[in-house]
Amino acid sequence: MTSSPSHWLRVTVGDSLAVVLCISVAALCSSQSFAAQGFGNQRTGALKDGGGNSVAQAPMEEDRPGQDQASQPAQTATPQFYPREQVQTGQSLFAAQCSFCHGRDAAGGEIGPDLTISELVEKDVGGNEIGPVVRSGRTDKGMPPFNLADADLVAIVAFIHDQKIKMVSKQGRRRTVQAEDLQSGNAEEGKQYFNGAGGCSKCHSPGADLAGVANRLRGLALLRRMLYPAGNRGANPAAAAATVTVTLPSGQTVTGKLAYRDEFVIGLTDSSGWYRSWSKSRVKFAVNNPLQAHIEQLGKYTDDAMHNVLAYLQTLH
Amino acid sequence: MKLGCYGCRLAVVLIALFAFQGPALTQALNPATLLDPPVDSWPTYHGTYSGQHHSRLAQITPANVHELTLVWAFETGYAAQIKSTPILVNGILYVTTPDNVWALDARSAHPVWHYTYPPNQGLHIGHRGVAVYNDSVYFTTPDAHLISLDARDGKVKWDVVIADVKKGYWTTMAPLVIRDHILVGTSGDFDNLPGMLKSMDPETGDTQWTFYSTLPRETPEAFSGGATGGNMWITGTYDPGLNLVYVGTGNPTPVLAAQARPGDNPWTCSIVALNPDNGELVWGFQPSPHDTHDWDAVEVPVLVNGKFKGTPRKMLLQASRNGYFFVLDRTTGKSLLSTPFAAVNWSAGVDKDGRPIPNAAKEPTRDGRLIAPDEGGATNYRSPSFDAQTGLFIVSAQDSYGIYFSKPEHGDYGWAGADYGLFGKGMLRAIDYQTGKIRWTHDLGGGASSAGVLTTDAGLTFTGDSVGSVLALRTADGTTLWHSRIGHVGNSPITYELDGRQYVLVASGGTLYAWALPDRPFAIKRGSPSH
Repeated sequence: MTSSPSHWLRVTVGDSLAVVLCISVAALCSSQSFAAQGFGNQRTGALKDGGGNSVAQAPMEEDRPGQDQASQPAQTATPQFYPREQVQTGQSLFAAQCSFCHGRDAAGGEIGPDLTISELVEKDVGGNEIGPVVRSGRTDKGMPPFNLADADLVAIVAFIHDQKIKMVSKQGRRRTVQAEDLQSGNAEEGKQYFNGAGGCSKCHSPGADLAGVANRLRGLALLRRMLYPAGNRGANPAAAAATVTVTLPSGQTVTGKLAYRDEFVIGLTDSSGWYRSWSKSRVKFAVNNPLQAHIEQLGKYTDDAMHNVLAYLQTLH
Repeated sequence: MKLGCYGCRLAVVLIALFAFQGPALTQALNPATLLDPPVDSWPTYHGTYSGQHHSRLAQITPANVHELTLVWAFETGYAAQIKSTPILVNGILYVTTPDNVWALDARSAHPVWHYTYPPNQGLHIGHRGVAVYNDSVYFTTPDAHLISLDARDGKVKWDVVIADVKKGYWTTMAPLVIRDHILVGTSGDFDNLPGMLKSMDPETGDTQWTFYSTLPRETPEAFSGGATGGNMWITGTYDPGLNLVYVGTGNPTPVLAAQARPGDNPWTCSIVALNPDNGELVWGFQPSPHDTHDWDAVEVPVLVNGKFKGTPRKMLLQASRNGYFFVLDRTTGKSLLSTPFAAVNWSAGVDKDGRPIPNAAKEPTRDGRLIAPDEGGATNYRSPSFDAQTGLFIVSAQDSYGIYFSKPEHGDYGWAGADYGLFGKGMLRAIDYQTGKIRWTHDLGGGASSAGVLTTDAGLTFTGDSVGSVLALRTADGTTLWHSRIGHVGNSPITYELDGRQYVLVASGGTLYAWALPDRPFAIKRGSPSH
């Protein structure tokens, strides 16, 4: 060991920060009243910006129960059984390496497909199909190559097959959406709508912010980001990259990222990174929510226009 | 306008009828008192049979509500959120989470007893609360049992199966007591199961009758066009004069696969009026014929007596999850008013019977349909409130959008599709029930709130916003008069009076909070409310 006191201190501080972060994330989750209920929606919450938990802001519980409690008899055509320890090892590895895109239960996230219904997994025997894809990646679809020890790869394969058995047995569960399902639109009409009736080009440009968007996002993830880019972080503009300018009683103004807003208090993060808040009754303020146009557009889209704009965005490689 | 008026007269008759059951002094709750509950109780899920979630208490007023102070807070010590409505009988509060019942001293929050149900396989999704009858507390479990507990000490008297958890049923409902009937309903969305409401004998747990909102698809008597579902998971309301119990039914299964179950799919997404003595259907009304968006119509059927367009009526009001507000004549089930109270894009108008017409182009598809509202709905199961003085029906609503998918490969079992919420904006809305017009709107600051609504005779409305405050508003115009940022309110507020002091209770997370005016000497000068 070569650790010095200063190095140890840094680690300690780092850990403390991590703890603080964890706590704040936990607080965020518990503030969304359903988070502790363990619903299947959580697995779709993996946008690359770290936001976009797909759990809607509404308290869904009885209304959107997840699939993890259903109990039907297990049955599958060609189940492959693996030792329990190997499956458990694979679960840990999968959670660390794969779940970000494919969901913790391997049943799909917003980026990665549902592996439990994958044709490739269906054909796989002992990793003969899965292994090469994991090792080489599918860079055209956004999956990087993974450099894994053989034993770890086999464990991941074991976990995927185990999940397949479990998920297939849950007949009535929520299903997933594949990118191929979403190809009904007309890109040319979508482009016209983008530049015309939809008003998208007032804020967005295929040559600037949307350049290469089809490489970064695809399928359902792209559709959802297109409809409401903040993901499902609620209607509170503090969650939607809004800015606010606060005018103090002295006449001084402070502008920053809107960090908090309720009926009584307004908070922002200023240009030096400090959080500041005021009682609303003591200041004047103006919020600029860049997503307001997206909110209004939700009430204007026809289903055809929605699919056409998606088709157009898919051409922006 | 109050149920209590004819309830009082009926109560005299019924108390006489119940007299043979023995001395009432030692009982926690004689069921006849449910007809006109005293102010020192909240003896049933809705407070009264009407479902108005309104109290005649008036000690806390718009003028003094800013003085409210915390009397006590009770922490369950568990992570589960309290969604239940506490029941107050005989000075004891009963509050629940899945598998747990606490009996608390309503003055101090001292836990008198705590009952824990053994670990089980049922869905632990939430719990609404208990029912009390004589000396017993009735509790539904995640694995669809009904437990009778001794109200004194929480000891199990009996434990009966309501439905088979292995088939996919679970229960969360607060039972409804009507005379010697304990009414309990089931839940279950991931399996094609018939919706059930059962009446159980309070002494033995024996089933008295079962009402099926749908039947298994393969049975010759099936009448729902291939649909199952229609579970009844929220406590109904009761009109003692008509002797009808009103219950909302849940969505059909398969949930999103429209083609698998053509037609209206009765009695899913319906309001049904049943005879509580035999479970027979007297009438049914469908807020969502052929639902394909998981919009249970279980929201509270609120009973109101008054004039509608000049004619005296016995009415039933519901703000339904599908975004429509309905006024029905509750004697016949005929529509008086059907109008949206939130963003709606799924219907092609309203038919001659007042039922929204589902637009086939808005059924879930392979490539997705953009739908308002989202799956959580324009409102959800927590209680709205009716204030007779203003004629306002106050509901926690949201304008929201979701995308809905279903394709043949998803099959016709259980969910049979996928859907995702996109955006929602939570608003408290005060609906003039005579016209359906929104009299006022109070911005709740984010998405849908998880709080129910309580109004009082003093002209106050209690609820919670979407950011984390409990609010007291002026009922007449929605102005905020008091708030406390305790965190998201997760249940429906209640109020009661003990020792001449009015309490307001709300839950946030796993904690129950009790608020009242400061306990100062002059407090005794405040007029006690008339009964």
